[in-house]
Amino acid sequence: MTETRTEAPRTPAPVMGMYDEVMWQSIRDGALQLQHCTSCGTVLYPPAPVCPHCLSTKLEWRAVSGRGTVLSWVVFHKTYLEAYPAPYNVIAVRLDEGAVMVSNLEPPLPKGNWIGKKVKMIYHAMLDGLVLPRFVLEQGDDAGPARAQCNRIRV
Amino acid sequence: MSEWKAASPSKALRRAAAVVGVGHSDWVADWKRVRNGEKPTDSYGYGAIAFGEALKDAGIRKDEIDGLIVGPTTAYERMSEVIGIDPRWGDQADAVLSVAQAVTAVQAGLAETIALVYGNDQRSAQIQYGGPQAMGGDAFLSYVYHSPWGLTSQGALYALTFRAFCDARGFEPDDLGHVAVAQRGWSSMNPNAVMRKKITLDEYRESRHICEPLRLYDYCMINDGGVALIVTTAERAARFGKPPVYIEAIGRRDLNHGATSLEPRLTDFYLSAQQDCARQAYEMAGFGPADMDVFQVYDSFSVHVPLALEGYGYCAVGDAGRFLREHGIGPGGRLPTNTGGGHLSETYMQGWAHQIECVRQLRGECGERQVDNCRHAHYTSDVAGKAVSIIYSR
Repeated sequence: MTETRTEAPRTPAPVMGMYDEVMWQSIRDGALQLQHCTSCGTVLYPPAPVCPHCLSTKLEWRAVSGRGTVLSWVVFHKTYLEAYPAPYNVIAVRLDEGAVMVSNLEPPLPKGNWIGKKVKMIYHAMLDGLVLPRFVLEQGDDAGPARAQCNRIRV
Repeated sequence: MSEWKAASPSKALRRAAAVVGVGHSDWVADWKRVRNGEKPTDSYGYGAIAFGEALKDAGIRKDEIDGLIVGPTTAYERMSEVIGIDPRWGDQADAVLSVAQAVTAVQAGLAETIALVYGNDQRSAQIQYGGPQAMGGDAFLSYVYHSPWGLTSQGALYALTFRAFCDARGFEPDDLGHVAVAQRGWSSMNPNAVMRKKITLDEYRESRHICEPLRLYDYCMINDGGVALIVTTAERAARFGKPPVYIEAIGRRDLNHGATSLEPRLTDFYLSAQQDCARQAYEMAGFGPADMDVFQVYDSFSVHVPLALEGYGYCAVGDAGRFLREHGIGPGGRLPTNTGGGHLSETYMQGWAHQIECVRQLRGECGERQVDNCRHAHYTSDVAGKAVSIIYSR
């Protein structure tokens, strides 16, 4: 009996549809793969049976660069989940491949606005053993504005 | 989404149907009872109570109902059984789509007089909108997909949306407080509102964060209740005791691209869907935002309101903060919005109570909070990217 395992707070289980399993195996292997459409180049997240752009079923699992840009962030001040005692952050990241992922930013955390910060993926093992792709700031992007990739609408 | 064809619903729907009866349960009394540990009734019971009130308000008997639409929280067949009717047409839909479906059904002759019935025991049944059992565990996508990273609750989705919205459109986060303050101003004059104590902008700013940047007052309440409406043909509506409230126009555009990844919430803020929905509704009505006397917005979170002000053309894109600050949406403001208090302050009936508030404002039944000479009321929701509008008129 592994006491630490049974006492570790349970991380909410990933939704495991038919097309999610390959992705979660790649995460456990330490190199996130997503489906790339071989017809039009669209990168799918979450995984799906067809390309939502051209409906092609010719989708190829390929590792992503792991680089991206913060689109938004929040800080939870209420605890909903035992694996996530408040406060903790959640970020939305646009990967360089185009797909948008929800994740967490590991310290060091930036001061001021996080939107537009360049981040790179790391792999974090939760106390119950689930491995999650998370992000850290790209070196040299922990200060100052970096807004080139954000969605500013000019009005 | 520039490839959308500029198509619109048939103008035959314009003023084809009218609301002739409205009713609701006593959610103020039930709020106290539930907090005292009682369970006044279940979702079907709340719906049935509201249905009875709507029949009384319309002045008709149950056997005159030949169509039924039930809300998403009750099963169609069971609700029909509980209230004892055998319709010749039926459906299940959320608040705004129930009204739109009723209009198309009566216009097409599928039914003549339709009851729209909603009941929800969400508070006493301890329904979870965040946490491990949110929305039935892993049965739904959207935010449940991201729960391994701790993203849970609808509020967190709107917190993410709001942060990106502030950055993209230059909205000052503190200006969001005007929504909660204004709606409490309205609810303070509404005897049917659960939360009636006025709040100030300072109290808003001092309230605790739930999911930062959103604060306690940005969140709707969770309470029990039921709402019902009776919708019939314009022709038949003219023969009822109370003045009919016509459904002048409807519009809809869904934005489902990238829904689970949250992309439309974080980069477009549903603007393109709202603008297309608005175009359809204003075209059918033959008038637009400048002619609206009352604006009603689905407000599970205050964030919906600035998005709707910009999306439906009540102010320029990027100007919602200034509009809230300088023109106002509360009592005495330029655009009376959520005049019953909305989900934040009146009752969280998932858009249903907003429909009866439109009807009552247009009938002139709102007492202290009545908007003078109310001729047109615009209700809109953008829940999960489904931008739907209903314009009601006298």
